Amino acid sequence: MKRVLLASLILSGFALSGEFTLKKPPESLKKYYPPQSEKFEFLNNMHTMSTAFYAVQLNINDGNWEKATQWAKKLVETYKKTAEMVPEWKKYFDFKKAEAYLKAVESKNVDSVIKASQELGKTCAKCHQDNEIAVKIYYRFPNFSEIKIEDPVEFMEYELEDFMVKLTRSLQALNVYLSQNQPDKVQEHGMNFVERARAVKEMCSKCHTDKRDVEAITGKDYDQALNTLEELLNAEKPDFNKIKQITAKVTLTCYTCHNVHYIPSKIKSAFSK
Amino acid sequence: MKFLFLFLFLVALTGCEKINEIFLEEDLLQRPPAKRCADCHAEIYKAWKESRHAKAWISEHFKQESENYSKLKCLPCHAPHQVDPLEKPLLRVERRHEGVNCVACHFKEETKAMHGPYKVWSPPHPSKEDKNYTKSEICAGCHRKTYKEWKLARVQTTCQQCHMKVKDITWIMDKFPFLLFHTRKPLHDHTFPAGKATPKDLKTFLTEEGLKIVNVGIPHNLPTADQGNPKLYIIAEVYYQNGKKRVIRKILSPQSNTALRYLEPYNIKIPKYEEVEKVVLKIYRRLAWKKERELILVDELKPFKLAEK
Ligand code: HEC
Ligand code: HEC
Ligand code: HEC
Ligand code: HEC
Ligand code: HEC
Ligand code: HEC
Ligand code: HEC
Ligand code: HEC
Repeated sequence: MKRVLLASLILSGFALSGEFTLKKPPESLKKYYPPQSEKFEFLNNMHTMSTAFYAVQLNINDGNWEKATQWAKKLVETYKKTAEMVPEWKKYFDFKKAEAYLKAVESKNVDSVIKASQELGKTCAKCHQDNEIAVKIYYRFPNFSEIKIEDPVEFMEYELEDFMVKLTRSLQALNVYLSQNQPDKVQEHGMNFVERARAVKEMCSKCHTDKRDVEAITGKDYDQALNTLEELLNAEKPDFNKIKQITAKVTLTCYTCHNVHYIPSKIKSAFSK
Repeated sequence: MKFLFLFLFLVALTGCEKINEIFLEEDLLQRPPAKRCADCHAEIYKAWKESRHAKAWISEHFKQESENYSKLKCLPCHAPHQVDPLEKPLLRVERRHEGVNCVACHFKEETKAMHGPYKVWSPPHPSKEDKNYTKSEICAGCHRKTYKEWKLARVQTTCQQCHMKVKDITWIMDKFPFLLFHTRKPLHDHTFPAGKATPKDLKTFLTEEGLKIVNVGIPHNLPTADQGNPKLYIIAEVYYQNGKKRVIRKILSPQSNTALRYLEPYNIKIPKYEEVEKVVLKIYRRLAWKKERELILVDELKPFKLAEK
């Protein structure tokens, strides 16, 4: 029973609660992320602490108190080092609780280890609650607002956000003229949409180096759908129903891509303002 | 000249093996700066310095797109440690600003020697003849997509034959007086020029199906790229018999998967073909690292039936 308890508390400590806010992370963390450092020192300490936490538990379960103590020492040592790394976050660390945890392991008393783990774990959880997501986005997600796309209709470069608006405008115009039954306008705005939907793909290689990522969303199916749409639009007598069907297929791709990238991108750009 | 005699004297006295040891310059095997190679390969160094390979890291555009070098997965090909055929390189630790440099392309940790296309006698550093250097595969670890396109084209011409042409038959090490001990050999262009498509590389037709453009000269996509975003701009002014005019514009790019494939026709639909008088076609290109668009071709096409009259 005790063992189960020991295992579960470490996991539960990390969950977010119902409501939380995202704060821009401190600048002093910068030192531990690219381009200033490629070693991810801060993140590695997190992994070290997390592994040590679990190692203590494993060894206690095995009855190996000596190893457990070694790991507990490593955990406390790393905890203290991490506190030095980001001065703005000093208040999140509680050295007394860390020492108490080490003492508990040294005392070889499972009950006090559980209690002290919980106490120490709470200090981890508090900081995660406030900062983990913000840091992941701010320091580890690329910046979409730096991205520019050349508009294939106007031959001009636009910021991503503005380009997305243009793309959407062509799509809306296509739909409007389809419903008003105006073939010439359908052709014109439809082709603008096709060209812009193709240009969307130009941005992927600014972040992705594995073409499987690109193909997972804007792959052969997407290319094929756009080619078919182009053919339909250029037909002597365009088939409006088919055009609608294919357009709907293309727009599914917009959602898929947004699901992956949109939210972190919006949060990141909010931080940069 | 005094040196020369001393040298010959030494050769006579000790034989080639020993000479290699005496003249070995240890630092050459410690991954020295590219400038160091210029001591004996001045011509090649000067050429490389002008090449995009030398700018692969310091390129403002690359700096910006890699978000000031913070996108780590972007870095290895722009500052490689060691280039091997078909293999994506690892990121170098030292002197990244040199980009794709001499040591990365020629020095191998496994043999502690400079690999190159020739069988040479090179006392300052061990060398190893390695025929991979004359093959497209040596470029393929980084130019992955271009290499795949080239493979599909099934031609004999290698990347080097177009992008590292033989500039001259001369000394490939140009330090006096040592060059006198070496024969002249074909010297390959280390500026790695992109080259430029000519009107001969593109065939154009105007038929009922549309305006067709075929890449018949360049055995990879036009334009081609791995991570860069070069473009082809097509502007077709369609003049109708009734005096009306219509302009069709297209941007072709490898990233949007619209580049001209080798020998595969690209078609632009021309509305109301029967009424067309002529089409004036202009094609421009923009290289991946450049801002400006350069004209490749201007062509005037008449519909088949008119041309026959
Ligand atoms: C002062 C704030 C703070 C404290 C205290 C803290 N962490 Fe973290 N932790 C973070 C931040 C910020 C991240 C996100 C870092 C990132 O993703 O680059 C993180 C991430 C993690 C992760 C996830 C790593 C990943 O790869 O996504 C683990 C596991 C972790 N911390 C363990 C711990 C443990 C165990 C403790 C306590 C012993 C602890 N942390 C204390 C701030 C803190
Ligand atoms: C500004 C940078 C950026 C751009 C532009 C971008 N992505 Fe992503 N994408 C990411 C990041 C960051 C992730 C998270 C996973 C990672 O780090 O690779 C991701 C994840 C993905 C994934 C999930 C698979 C995976 O590797 O985890 C797919 C699929 C994907 N992107 C496709 C695309 C496509 C298709 C495009 C172009 C239409 C695109 N991306 C454009 C940054 C970008
Ligand atoms: C990379 C994959 C990707 C694809 C594919 C994509 N988008 Fe987007 N889109 C984004 C991202 C990222 C943003 C947020 C840009 C920002 O505001 O910084 C965005 C923003 C938008 C916006 C909001 C613009 C604003 O005002 O903030 C609209 C509208 C939009 N996209 C429409 C579309 C449509 C329509 C399609 C498909 C035809 C599409 N997108 C395809 C990534 C993508
Ligand atoms: C992108 C890789 C690359 C870089 C960078 C590079 N080389 Fe080469 N080098 C080659 C290849 C490939 C050949 C063989 C060309 C052939 O035979 O078709 C070659 C040939 C040579 C040769 C034999 C003579 C010749 O021209 O064929 C010498 C000497 C040489 N390189 C020295 C250098 C030096 C010095 C530098 C730096 C200033 C350098 N290389 C940079 C790829 C590279
Ligand atoms: C597999 C090797 C490889 C990786 C990884 C790589 N590149 Fe490149 N990059 C190349 C090659 C080869 C070229 C030249 C051909 C071309 O234009 O694509 C190039 C060219 C470029 C160019 C155009 C030249 C210039 O200086 O303006 C930019 C920009 C660029 N890369 C950015 C990136 C970014 C951003 C990433 C990461 C998302 C990246 N590269 C990752 C191989 C690579
Ligand atoms: C002190 C003079 C000297 C310096 C410095 C020097 N080399 Fe050489 N290198 C030679 C000589 C001599 C040859 C043989 C030339 C010949 O036989 O025509 C040679 C040949 C080569 C070859 C051709 C090998 C082959 O098998 O085809 C390569 C590649 C090469 N050097 C690379 C380098 C690189 C890279 C550097 C800088 C790190 C460098 N060298 C610095 C003297 C030098
Ligand atoms: C280590 C990776 C790597 C290898 C190997 C490599 N290249 Fe490149 N190459 C690049 C990168 C990166 C660029 C883009 C540099 C830039 O413009 O920022 C590039 C650019 C080029 C360009 C474009 C020049 C221009 O003016 O636009 C040509 C041509 C080229 N390489 C030819 C070759 C050939 C031929 C070989 C084989 C002998 C080769 N490369 C091997 C990485 C590599
Ligand atoms: C028959 C000659 C020929 C061969 C073979 C060839 N290329 Fe090219 N390549 C060209 C020409 C010409 C261009 C310029 C096209 C244009 O006008 O933009 C070019 C353009 C390029 C570019 C684009 C430069 C840029 O900045 O956009 C790269 C990269 C490149 N070649 C790499 C390669 C590689 C790698 C190989 C071998 C796998 C190869 N080429 C084989 C003729 C050739």
